[in-house]
Amino acid sequence: MSMKDTDKKERAVKYKWGMVIDLDRCTGCGACVVACHAENNVPFVGKELSGYGRAMHWIRIERYWEGEYPHVRARFIPVLCQQCNNAPCEPVCPVYASYHNAEGLNAQVYNRCVGTRYCANNCPYSVRVFNFFEPSFPEPLDQQLSPDVTVRTKGVMEKCTFCIQRIRRAKETARLDGRAVRDGEIQPACAQTCPPDAIIFGNLADPKSRVFRFSKSPRRFRLIEDLGTDPSVIYLKGGGHEHVR
Amino acid sequence: MSMSDEEDLTPEKVEAVQQDLTSSMNPPTWKWFLLSGFLGLVVIWGAIAWGYQIRMGLGVAGINLPVMWGFYIVSFVFWVGLSHSGTMVSAILRLTKAEWRRPILRGAEAMTVFAIMVAGTFPLIHLGRPWKLLYFLPIPNQRGLWPNFRSPLLWDIMAITVYIIGSSLFLYLGMLPDLAIVRDRSSGWRKKLYSMLAMGWRGTAHEWRVFARASTLMAVLIIPVAVSVHSIVSWDFAMTLVPGWHSTIFAPYFVIGAIFSGVAAVITLMVIIRKAFHLEAYLRPIHFDNMGKILLTVSLLWSYFYFAEILTTWYGHKPIEWEVFIFTGEKYCFLLGLMVLGNSFITIPALCFKRIRRSVPAMLLISLFVNVGMFIERFLIIVPILSHRNVPFIWGDYRPTWVEVSIMVAAFAGFALLYTLFAKFFPIVSINDMLEGEHFKSEARLGRAKLKTIITDE
Amino acid sequence: MSNRVEILGLYKDLETAAAAAEALVQGGFSEKEITSISSGPYPDGVIVKDEGRSFLRWISLAGGMMGAGFGFLLAAGTAWLYPLHTGDKPIISLFPVGIITFEFMMLFAILGTIGGMFLEMGLPGFKNKVYDPGISQGLIGISVSCQDGAQQNKAVEILQGAGAVKIRNEGQP
Repeated sequence: MSMKDTDKKERAVKYKWGMVIDLDRCTGCGACVVACHAENNVPFVGKELSGYGRAMHWIRIERYWEGEYPHVRARFIPVLCQQCNNAPCEPVCPVYASYHNAEGLNAQVYNRCVGTRYCANNCPYSVRVFNFFEPSFPEPLDQQLSPDVTVRTKGVMEKCTFCIQRIRRAKETARLDGRAVRDGEIQPACAQTCPPDAIIFGNLADPKSRVFRFSKSPRRFRLIEDLGTDPSVIYLKGGGHEHVR
Repeated sequence: MSMSDEEDLTPEKVEAVQQDLTSSMNPPTWKWFLLSGFLGLVVIWGAIAWGYQIRMGLGVAGINLPVMWGFYIVSFVFWVGLSHSGTMVSAILRLTKAEWRRPILRGAEAMTVFAIMVAGTFPLIHLGRPWKLLYFLPIPNQRGLWPNFRSPLLWDIMAITVYIIGSSLFLYLGMLPDLAIVRDRSSGWRKKLYSMLAMGWRGTAHEWRVFARASTLMAVLIIPVAVSVHSIVSWDFAMTLVPGWHSTIFAPYFVIGAIFSGVAAVITLMVIIRKAFHLEAYLRPIHFDNMGKILLTVSLLWSYFYFAEILTTWYGHKPIEWEVFIFTGEKYCFLLGLMVLGNSFITIPALCFKRIRRSVPAMLLISLFVNVGMFIERFLIIVPILSHRNVPFIWGDYRPTWVEVSIMVAAFAGFALLYTLFAKFFPIVSINDMLEGEHFKSEARLGRAKLKTIITDE
Repeated sequence: MSNRVEILGLYKDLETAAAAAEALVQGGFSEKEITSISSGPYPDGVIVKDEGRSFLRWISLAGGMMGAGFGFLLAAGTAWLYPLHTGDKPIISLFPVGIITFEFMMLFAILGTIGGMFLEMGLPGFKNKVYDPGISQGLIGISVSCQDGAQQNKAVEILQGAGAVKIRNEGQP
């Protein structure tokens, strides 16, 4: 097969990246948060700034308490960029730093961003984080910076990319082999790290993929669905209390 | 000096009027230098604060994850609001040929120009990377970058640019005949400057006629621009999905709010100009009375809009909107109360009394109170609503820092400085409009009384 | 050879100035050749009549239409050249295009008005046209454009006869 043929074959495949997060499996351990920080060169801002809403997690574990003591229960939701198909953050950007790419990703172009922070205001999930200061990676953190991802500068908005660097790499490999990306070949850092395997990533355009099958689960729901943002992240949650008790 | 006793305008009288109206342009005294120097220092301090912010990053301001817009955007909306009435009031009064408009026009138009200039700097200050400003502008470049015209911020940039250009030209147009007068009264480098600005105006009958036509046309054209500017500012908020912002009433509500704060600011400036340049004979109680009536009307309108907005939220009781509602009411109770007092409960009853409307100190107090109220209104629209958005986990709080306060204060100083300089170089009351008014004044005997009349040209 | 010159007579008040204009008309000068120069506006016909049509409104309208076209092309045309998808908005979205079109329409209409005004006034003109600084101090000038020679003398005579404070010729410092 010539290079041209493999190229064509790879391009003919339609990708629509999506994620399923099974809340009945999530233990709220926070491994995904750590993995994300490491993979994507997300800076740490320290305790004090974190307390004042300057934390920069691309994925966060939201913890809600339910009930009154002694019948208290914690619930966890990992929240990351929902990669909305009708993303409210995109049209408000005056410089196209936030736009929609052909694979359904809500892309963020750091070099274009001027820092109006309009997108962050219009994100109903508040998952966009801003570089309030120049990010610093004090030793030995600088040793673990990922070479595949740029380090952003101050004054720039950033957010979860579904580990786009891993998507790109897998697609390149697939192209060389003249095939489509296999199901499960791509794992974002959060999915890879998740101990109870609560996060499933894959191609929603492929009806045979694992993520597609889970996305049709009767336990499915999406965050603040009534806003019509059409997120690509699908949560699973059982109806009754039996799953958590 | 009273001006309406004699019937004819003699050269002596014209000279006296001109001397009075150009008194702001007399050589500066040490007091003037002191004031300008002080204002200049405050502006420099604000510039230093901004420089510090550019160097360190926006983190030195109080904004954070839920509250991504803070004092800068509050100030932006406030100053755009102030810029509204000047031109709008002037245009409406011109078109309706309200005779009492004459001494107010110039000061109001100048206020618009400087307020919109100050407003225009705030979006720049609030940027994360202001040095990338060019990305906003539709300039073809090799990087393939282009602005997104679907973004309300781009509409904002366009509308404000049009408004700055339009209102500056409106101010200049009204000043053209006055520049010729000032040209003839001055000497040296000033004469050269004014000759250039006056463009060789002589005052022929033809020039005056074209001038009148152009003034009317400009007044007609500038009103829709003014309305569009503040509508678009409101759409920066209303186009989002943020609960509390996403509302159809926002555009007219903001326009009314802008006119409200702007009329109040015109009154404040009238008091200051009257006192500073001893124009008691020109800015008379009747002017405050009429402006007071306008202020009363707009105050009623604002209260009506506010009530409609609040009522809808309260009755609908949508959980998230209700949360914002309750949060604002609890945390910002004091500010909320102050706003309602300043904008409605004190202003409306007070302005119903002619004696209050005709009292200069009372009007100063009311106009200041209105603008405090309107500043709070903008704050309450932006900060509490952003604090409590859809995701309760991210609910937060906002504390302005010294950097934001410094820049905000510097904006006031900058406006005052621009205004002071303008008054030093240009007549702050329109001479030609005043003289035109004098030509049309007359007296008629009716029964036993001698009444003042105005000759109209219909 | 005869050149056209402009002569200016200065009067102390409105009544004498109007009388001078009237005398000029009686003396055979046409309304077109006479104009008043004053530091304040007078309704048409009080001193002189300014006949002639104005195209100012049409210039504004033309400006506005040009601006609308420009704004439309800028918003719709360039969006089409840079087809980046954002949210669920179409590449050429009518509402935003309408807003940009409106803003540019108003901008060009305003520029057209100011430009048209200067065009109609014949300004800027920095050449030494007949003028007197006294006009700024309340004198009213009646200026008449005439042939030099006999007609000029006649004009000077009429202006003087009407009680001019001062007579000035074109080009005179």
